[in-house]
Amino acid sequence: MGNAPDPPAPFPLPSHPGGGDSPLPPRGGGARGGRSRRGLSDRQITNLFLLPTLLLLIAMNLFPLFWSLYLSFCDYHADRNQPAQWIGTANYAALLASPEKWRYFTQTATFVLLAVSIEFVAGFGLALLFHRKFRAQGLLTTLILLPMMLSPVVVGLFWQLIFDPKRGIFNYLLGLGSTVWLQDPGRAMLSLVLIDAWMWSPFVMLIALAGLSAVPEYLYEAAAVDRASAWFRFRYITLPMVAPLLLIALIFRTMDAFKVFDLVWATTSGGPSDLTETVSTSLYRIAFESFDTGQACAFGYIILVVIIALTNLYLRFMARVKGEA
Amino acid sequence: MGVENRPPGWQAERIKAVLGITTIVVVTVIYLIPVFWIVLTSFKQWDDVQAVPPRFFFAPTLENYSYLPVNRVFDQSGSRVVGESGFFQKIGNSAVIGLVSTFFAVGLGLLSAYAFSRFRVKGKSDMLFFILSTRMMPPVVVVIPIYLMYNFLGLRDTHLGMIVLYTVFNLSFAVWLLKGFVDEIPREYEDAALVDGYTRFQAFCKVVAPQAVTGIAATAVFCLITAWNEFAFALILTDQRAITAPPFIVSRLGAAGTDWGQIAASTVVFVLPIAIFTFLMRNHLLRGITFGAIKK
Amino acid sequence: MKKRAMRLAVVWAALLSLAGCSKPADPGAPTSGAATPTSAAAGGTLNIVWAQWDPAKYLQQLVNDYTKETGVTVKVHEIPWPQFQQKVFVSLSAHQDTYDIIVGDSQWLGRASENGHYVELTDWMKEKLDLDSFYAPALEGYGEYPKGSKKYWAVPCEADATGFCYRKDLFEDPNEKAAFKAKYGRDLAVPKTWQELYEIAEFFNRPDRNLYGVALFLGKAYDSVTMGFQQVMWCYGGSYGDPQTFQVEGLLNGPESVTALDFYSRLARFTPPGSLDFYFERCLAAYQNGLVAMAMNYFAFFPGLTNQETNPRFYDKTGYFVSPAGPKGHFVSLGGQGMSISAYSKQQEQAKQFLEWFAKEEVQRKWAELGGYTCNKKILESETFRTATPFNAAFADSLPLVRDFWAVPEYNQLLDSCQKHWNAAVAGIEEPKAALDATAKEHAAIFQKAGRAKQATAGSGRS
Repeated sequence: MGNAPDPPAPFPLPSHPGGGDSPLPPRGGGARGGRSRRGLSDRQITNLFLLPTLLLLIAMNLFPLFWSLYLSFCDYHADRNQPAQWIGTANYAALLASPEKWRYFTQTATFVLLAVSIEFVAGFGLALLFHRKFRAQGLLTTLILLPMMLSPVVVGLFWQLIFDPKRGIFNYLLGLGSTVWLQDPGRAMLSLVLIDAWMWSPFVMLIALAGLSAVPEYLYEAAAVDRASAWFRFRYITLPMVAPLLLIALIFRTMDAFKVFDLVWATTSGGPSDLTETVSTSLYRIAFESFDTGQACAFGYIILVVIIALTNLYLRFMARVKGEA
Repeated sequence: MGVENRPPGWQAERIKAVLGITTIVVVTVIYLIPVFWIVLTSFKQWDDVQAVPPRFFFAPTLENYSYLPVNRVFDQSGSRVVGESGFFQKIGNSAVIGLVSTFFAVGLGLLSAYAFSRFRVKGKSDMLFFILSTRMMPPVVVVIPIYLMYNFLGLRDTHLGMIVLYTVFNLSFAVWLLKGFVDEIPREYEDAALVDGYTRFQAFCKVVAPQAVTGIAATAVFCLITAWNEFAFALILTDQRAITAPPFIVSRLGAAGTDWGQIAASTVVFVLPIAIFTFLMRNHLLRGITFGAIKK
Repeated sequence: MKKRAMRLAVVWAALLSLAGCSKPADPGAPTSGAATPTSAAAGGTLNIVWAQWDPAKYLQQLVNDYTKETGVTVKVHEIPWPQFQQKVFVSLSAHQDTYDIIVGDSQWLGRASENGHYVELTDWMKEKLDLDSFYAPALEGYGEYPKGSKKYWAVPCEADATGFCYRKDLFEDPNEKAAFKAKYGRDLAVPKTWQELYEIAEFFNRPDRNLYGVALFLGKAYDSVTMGFQQVMWCYGGSYGDPQTFQVEGLLNGPESVTALDFYSRLARFTPPGSLDFYFERCLAAYQNGLVAMAMNYFAFFPGLTNQETNPRFYDKTGYFVSPAGPKGHFVSLGGQGMSISAYSKQQEQAKQFLEWFAKEEVQRKWAELGGYTCNKKILESETFRTATPFNAAFADSLPLVRDFWAVPEYNQLLDSCQKHWNAAVAGIEEPKAALDATAKEHAAIFQKAGRAKQATAGSGRS
């Protein structure tokens, strides 16, 4: 049994790491070697592998999406025993004309920008730090993933205690006296960003770590032979291989950060006043306090459109990264 | 091995290694201070929890843990127990629902990721975008229609209902992340296997899947965490039979105020299974992709 | 094969969505056996839903007696406070029979009754219960809607009001008393007016010694700052508006209200740092930590203060007083809930029997003993009750003074508006006049949209 054969000759530098998105066309029965194979054809495999996923997603999402789309054009309150009344784009108009809602979008965008940037840098940094062989590697990695394993509501609750000016260890350990964090109009948003970054940097770290592990050793060896600098190694070997995975992590973190609710609701409730109100907390109020279901659906679709636009930007960037790498 | 056999500059290497590990340990410890605080709180008595300034040294107690299975209320004279809390039954629900939904999300996700990665599929990028978009709508908007849907189908307050829900929640992430990992596996290995007479399916099982273990492990961990801690739908869609732990944990509000000790204790107990699961997966999570032999 | 499967999927999904699309007009699809057990056998089960807190647990203890007497199992379901409203109204909107009895907030009465979610109990209550046994303000606050119409939708269950606890050791310390007398020219005593409370708070506000004057409801969450401030507003002569004409302008933002909000904001300076999100638990914690000389809170949370385990430093040094009066009146914020019957319950008769049992005097007596706050007049006025705990007397004295927020169906939006602006006012982000003007404008718009605002009459009365 041959062990560790020579790495396949073709690539000194990975151009298409796995062949990613330039796939082979599905094959029918004829094999390369000329022998006919038993087993499923590529076409059948494609169907078999894709169908359950798509069916499940469609089944679960179709009714909610159509229901809420229809109601977004209606005057409808779920808690009243009255039928929905078609009012056209009135819900959308009211939302888009509200300066408050625009402010909540900006506040949410600020949160997303700050939180995701910190998570990216911290997560990737942690991954680089942890990417070496050392004793108790498994244990330490599991430990540093703990923040992510806690429920966001619990994290919010306890960080309230930690940020408490008098009872909390944040001020105590850093010698900051009685500084007010979550209740201070100027610092509340930053405090939320800090909590979110603390909780989700390990998420980016784990994905980045897995991506770093995927970089073949021999590439580094080849670069070392050529006496490439550390920056060169990082920029032309590490980054291109890790980038696709990092971008996936970022897309999902961005989407989730944009929809952030539990964390804000458990800590500031959008306060002080409405300085940390996000689109999701505002949406919650419309949906489950006012029970203005029609307007909530409209708001939801507006948020959806924004997120679609954002992710499109990411995806285009991702395609470019893959293209140039 | 004599000194003269060691490569030049080994001292520098050693120092770098030690420095590296020290940094890792220090970073980890500092990063985990809040978690440490939660664990500490779980052993504190009422007064110690809220102390000003915060207390690191105190007389510990196990009562927060021992009272987990019951409802304890404080009144004028002391405290009394009023019935059971069903905490461990709820953890059981979380376990069943979490593990099964993770299994399906990762399984279906891997299959779809492979198909998207290797084959030309008509409308692929649209399909992929559709899959991504299922995670974009704020949950608040879909709570009511899903509630209605589940009522209609008789899935409300059932384990099956929650399993299906969480599988669907996690599918989009699973497909995308796993596709990212599968993309990084060179096709040459499958092609070689195909040349050697394996069917595509066998090539998938024997060549690709083993190499995607890191990605599978990471995805499984994330999916389980998501399902484990999900709160909003668990609260609305379950009542007695399928109720999971998260809604219960955060709601320890008594006549004397928030029972931080109990919240901390129940959090510690609740996070333990996930931590253990991740720890068991550690070798898979940290495995590099090897360019070793293709096993026959 | 793929095309056919796709087509099948689309058809199935379309069917599903068609089935669902009929829902908006009638969200009340009856459940297909997915709900909780209903009475099939002789015993049966009644399902009560309340918020997750100790009184709900006291209730579960109490209802075990009912089970012993009648064989009917009674289960009290608890939902965490932040999600309580959401879960109950989602269930009601879908016409679920999950809960038979709902122990709802007093503000829900309008919304639940106007939308047909609660069973009207007027005739039944007049016939089966002794309405005089209930404390009149409690009956009105927890059960009547519209106010003054004598229509009832709930049996009062848990009475609650805001009150204050204070550090007796500080107030009775001779040095403190002397210093206070020297500074303010009167004796240090339990404050009877808000101005007196202000002076005491100012006196005890010593940040360098980790002692602050008072803990107040100032927070943005739920209804915190509204519950704290509204009583001050009423005491100074302001009001939410006219309950008949729904005129808001000039009343909610009238000069009395502005004075009151200005006062409350200034009083808030004597609270500990980070108090901008104080609600009942933070006020409790601040007091238990010895951070404040006085703390506002609901009476429902005072039992924990006499408990040595949860208040080890001051459990025997704590006194309680009725929320103070203002220049134009004496009012106290109403808390508490009443028991209503869900219109979708399949056991409405059994629920009524339970409510009848609950209202009996001996049951109310036991309810009070277990820790619940009864609304029974005779028990409230009895010496036994008043002396049973250090705070019961203050509670009994507070009840005649209670007043509530709007109970109209739009109360949530009204509340949101108050929360946002009044939290801004006490935070110093908005000026009191501007905050009240903004609130009044939003309230007027809400009433307009709900079709309640009639032609404003000059010189309308107050709510």
